[in-house]
Amino acid sequence: MSVPQAIFWVMAVLAVLGGLGVVASRQPIRSVLSLVAVMLSLSVIFLELSAQFVFAVQVIVYAGAVMVLFLFVVALLGPMRERPTTHLRFQWGLSILVAVVFGGFVYALLQGVGFRAPEANVAIDTLGTVEQIGTGLFTTYLYPFELTSILLLVAAVGAIYLSRGGRTASEVHRREEEEDRSA
Amino acid sequence: MALQAVALALLLLPAAGALILALSALSISRRVVRLLGPGVVWLGFLCTLVLFVDSLQSGGPHDFSYWTWIRSGAFSLPANLLVDRLSVFMCLVVTGVGGLIVTYAVGYMDHENDASYARFFCYMDLFIFSMLLLVLAGNFVFLIMGWAMVGLSSYLLIGFYYWRYSAVAAARKAFVMNVVGDIALVLAAFAIFAQYHQTTYAGVFGALPRADDPWVEVIGFLLLVGGIAKSAQLPLHTWLPDAMEGPTPVSALIHAATMVTAGVYLIGRMHPIFDLAFWAHSTAALIGAVTALVAATIGIVQTDIKRVLAYSTMSQIGYMFLGVGLGAYAAGFYHLLAHAFFKALLFLGAGNVIHAMNDEQDMRRYGGLWKQLRPTSICFLIGSLALVGIFPLVGFFSKELILGDAFSKPDQGGFPQVMWAVGFLTAVLTGFYTGRMWWIAFWGEPARDRPVEHPHEAPPVMLVPVVILTVLTCIGGALQVNAGFDIPWRQVEDFLSPVVGPLPWSPRGLEWIPTAATLLLGGVAFLAAYNFYVSRVWRPWSAAVPWLQRLLERKYYFDEIYDAVFVRTMDGVANVGDRFLEEPVIDGAPTGVAAVAEAGAGTLSLTQSGYFRTYVLVFVGGALLGLAVILLARTAG
Amino acid sequence: MPDYGQIQVGSGTLDARLVLGLAVVLFVLGAVGVLIRRNPIVILVCIELMLNAANLTLIMFAAQLHNLEGQLFTLMTMTVAAAEAVVGLAILVDIFRVRDVDDVDQLSELRG
Repeated sequence: MSVPQAIFWVMAVLAVLGGLGVVASRQPIRSVLSLVAVMLSLSVIFLELSAQFVFAVQVIVYAGAVMVLFLFVVALLGPMRERPTTHLRFQWGLSILVAVVFGGFVYALLQGVGFRAPEANVAIDTLGTVEQIGTGLFTTYLYPFELTSILLLVAAVGAIYLSRGGRTASEVHRREEEEDRSA
Repeated sequence: MALQAVALALLLLPAAGALILALSALSISRRVVRLLGPGVVWLGFLCTLVLFVDSLQSGGPHDFSYWTWIRSGAFSLPANLLVDRLSVFMCLVVTGVGGLIVTYAVGYMDHENDASYARFFCYMDLFIFSMLLLVLAGNFVFLIMGWAMVGLSSYLLIGFYYWRYSAVAAARKAFVMNVVGDIALVLAAFAIFAQYHQTTYAGVFGALPRADDPWVEVIGFLLLVGGIAKSAQLPLHTWLPDAMEGPTPVSALIHAATMVTAGVYLIGRMHPIFDLAFWAHSTAALIGAVTALVAATIGIVQTDIKRVLAYSTMSQIGYMFLGVGLGAYAAGFYHLLAHAFFKALLFLGAGNVIHAMNDEQDMRRYGGLWKQLRPTSICFLIGSLALVGIFPLVGFFSKELILGDAFSKPDQGGFPQVMWAVGFLTAVLTGFYTGRMWWIAFWGEPARDRPVEHPHEAPPVMLVPVVILTVLTCIGGALQVNAGFDIPWRQVEDFLSPVVGPLPWSPRGLEWIPTAATLLLGGVAFLAAYNFYVSRVWRPWSAAVPWLQRLLERKYYFDEIYDAVFVRTMDGVANVGDRFLEEPVIDGAPTGVAAVAEAGAGTLSLTQSGYFRTYVLVFVGGALLGLAVILLARTAG
Repeated sequence: MPDYGQIQVGSGTLDARLVLGLAVVLFVLGAVGVLIRRNPIVILVCIELMLNAANLTLIMFAAQLHNLEGQLFTLMTMTVAAAEAVVGLAILVDIFRVRDVDDVDQLSELRG
């Protein structure tokens, strides 16, 4: 086993453990932190696969910024434990079954999968450098890139609209009462 | 070319007026309506005068073809108007008398609110347009359109006071009975097309066979049914008295002067067919004579002044049918013109009285109007005398022309002479019921329960048309003075002879005897009514024969018979249909579909559990299926 | 015929099937999380996990095919994920502000 393979295995195990943590943690904050672990291990694999820039983005923006947003929300809303529920008991088993079948299907698909030949004129060494990414984003993919920026803008506006003040539970209650009185 | 445009303008001016009024009825000011409503009719009258002058000079018919309306294989239909002396004659009546009556309505309808006022003139203009289309049509399709549209406008105007049940019922009755005639006319057009493959008048008349044959008779009878329905002849007459529910100008224009004479026009226009179709033609005369007599007898017992006039209209149109049915077309049309004058005069005069009496129409509650409504009374008297046929009013000349032609028509079986006898009897009865109407309404002492103590004479806008019609009634006789005598002054006959031909037989020289008899007995009957109804010197005739009075008051039970035969039967059929077809099948289909949809939706809504996780599960299940398909495809491939 | 599934990584190689297998495992874990967890925040986190699994395949194929597009698309996916997280969290915060909810099963007003 070569060094890169060893690194991959270690990171893969870490990622799967992290994934289990995401699903199985009782407290949301642990799920979020497990996801950060998954992301970090994946970023290493990205680096192995010569995606240097994406690696940086994954660590800084994704694991750094986005997950911090999650943490922030969790902190804002406080700890929430899932209470035992009477609804949809069957769903638990059914979900596991569906997931296993799904995984089985994909595994079956992977058997005998054929790979196409890589593009010969591109060297793997230069793939994924900042220069290449920049050229790609600002020439061929300028249009989708700008569209993504608009998407972010829309998301920001939407988030601001949704979280604007004046709609707390007590206030809504009060307004409903006022409407009842006037009606 | 210019004439062609004039003819089109004549037709389209009233249509434009109706359209403008219809589109702006809710916002247009009353002053504009006053100007626009009668204005377009008078403009049409001017156009008619142009055509009239032309037809006096050239005399020849113009067949103005504007464009080809329909061309489909061998079938071709031009949009053409036929401007000949007959249609110009009718247009003169429609726009001239029509203009006077619509002008009169400016005053008569004044107490309506703005929207109804505009609506009234919209309908009136629509009627004028339809009637002009009817008489100007150069092909059977236009004829049918005009024919149906006068029925429509008549329906709209009878039901003008749509908040009154009786008006709506009368409108519906008129429409249904008119549609009977419409269908007959349409069938006639079908038969004509099937036989001769022509749609224009010129084409059809050119393709007619030389002698009588069964198809000509069938077509003739179908046309006759159309004519008697529109002209309220027996047995399709019951709608006309009820049509008096409409405003009085409507009764004057549509149900006296113009629309109800469309049947006479139809027979005159189709005279090449009727000249061949002996039986249909004779039936027209027979129906005319019988209607004249029957309507006159019913007129004796009516108490509503407008209904008396309605029955007299039926009776007079019967005379016209008698005339055109015997082949004396010019006489029939002369009486049509005369009748338009004096009957419009009578209706408008009655309108003045009704107006003054706060819409009371029962003439037993009038009485003594002679002293208070002098101008209207004089005009009404002149109109009444013209209706009786007193020399030298127009009614005398026109009616005696018909009777004289009937009397002198050579026939081995004596059929025309029998018709003459019926007409003679009718003339006497006419004198009696007209006298009764006039004496009861205008003479004597005011009725004790008269609605208005001191009635006011109508305003000038209503009086002037009445006076003009009175003048026309007085001088109209000068057009053709040969009634009973062989005087060669026959303006109407000469004018119309290019279209309907000259009278095919010559007088016997003895007509003055029956004419004098009719004049004398009619006048005596008119005066005799005074002794019955005002001075009451004589016992009421009905005391002697109460059963006859009852029969007449029930109008020979026509309505009752129709009710029993048609209405009840149809109700029965409809009930059966309602029970066994409407409810289980026609209603059942949509309600069944709705029930199935509702049940299906109810079942499907169970999938809308509202649980987010369930939705995701279904989603993943779908993805699973997709994967399965891919897998299967790969294993198979 | 060479095995194109072996991606050259530095001095050695890495089997693309292994990477895909890892992606499948992570994706299924995320899907199971979405299906069985009832805490809305955790559900969002699981969705992020699934997105990461998808990103992994993109990156892998970019390296295998020597094609930059996979990496570029990963960047887009991250942006979308960020937008989704922002909006989703905003909705959550809004719901929590108006109502006292700690379970998505309680948000079932749209039941048919």
